[in-house]
Amino acid sequence: MSSDEGGRPSADEALSADELLDETDLSLLDGIREMFGVADPMPADLPERIRFRLALRDLEIEVARLTEEEQELAGIRGAELSRTITFDSDSLTIMIRIDANRDGTVRVDGWLAPPQRREIEMKTSAEALSISSDDQGRFAFARVPRGTAQLMVRPAEPGPDGAGRSVVTPALIL
Amino acid sequence: MAVDDRRPATVRTGRADQPDRGERIASLVGEARQGSEEALGQIVTELTPMLWQVARAAGLSAGDAEDVVQTVWMRLIAHLDDIHTSAALTGWLVITARREAWRVCAAGRKQLPADTESFDALPTRGPGAEEQVIIDDQRRTLWRAISQLPGRCQELLRIIAFVPRPDYAAVAAELGMPIGSVGPTRGRCLAKLRTLLASTLEGDDVVG
Repeated sequence: MSSDEGGRPSADEALSADELLDETDLSLLDGIREMFGVADPMPADLPERIRFRLALRDLEIEVARLTEEEQELAGIRGAELSRTITFDSDSLTIMIRIDANRDGTVRVDGWLAPPQRREIEMKTSAEALSISSDDQGRFAFARVPRGTAQLMVRPAEPGPDGAGRSVVTPALIL
Repeated sequence: MAVDDRRPATVRTGRADQPDRGERIASLVGEARQGSEEALGQIVTELTPMLWQVARAAGLSAGDAEDVVQTVWMRLIAHLDDIHTSAALTGWLVITARREAWRVCAAGRKQLPADTESFDALPTRGPGAEEQVIIDDQRRTLWRAISQLPGRCQELLRIIAFVPRPDYAAVAAELGMPIGSVGPTRGRCLAKLRTLLASTLEGDDVVG
């Protein structure tokens, strides 16, 4: 953290008079940035995932927001965790329960509220799985590979305005 | 959310943080306001590391921090029209992320104390690189000094360090905490840090 720069002409000018930072302050802040960059780096692909999500926003898509997540010990085997996650968007609430299968995949059971028949897609790192919910809004993916996944609920039928937009969830780690 | 296969992100060094970064961001904001998806994307790439630190400094788990960062960016879209300068953008982002992080904390979800991560526990890099040993040493000294600061100062310095340099003062003011060691106000965070470092180092000229 040596002050190795021969002066930063405009850095100080940008600061108001009572907020002046000297070179030692600036190099300390550089050191702090480097330190936290090493100690607690953001996931390297985070900006990319956010850009992806932002790019979706104009496509008549609602992004659901994670509102609740619970974990409970499931059944007799004890060690297996069952997770219940709730997402909310303007038009839909999506609730899913994730349970481990014996073969290393997971089972995802879901409910839509208000209940309705919709086409539901699960994007995974391997492939996209597609199913429909029933009239009660229930759906189930029996075997989903572990890893990153994202749910997309498609509009029931492409209709006039208000017939329903696609709703996507944030990426999930299964 | 059980996320933790994070790869370390590219670490920006001081070199990358040139004074003109603010101007570049300001012009990206202008382009984004006019609908440039590419400009918006570049802003996201520039400032997501800062938002990550804001969320983590508030004590959120990695999974919650990701959610908060994503939420803030989605919300920015609705506010782009009101934002014209780099300082206004970084200020808005930091404040919104901090508020959102508090909301998540208050909702009672998983929360880690901000100091859970011990720098001492970090693996040192391979042997042989003598220079690396010195750098690791400097970082530990800095880490120890920072961890002795009041919580507010720890959070402030961690956030400000990731703000584009020309926006330091504006964002610090927005956070209600002047940071500089220069000037009439005693007890500013950097001044405290420097005092601590000076007393720890005793003649060692690691800093400055």
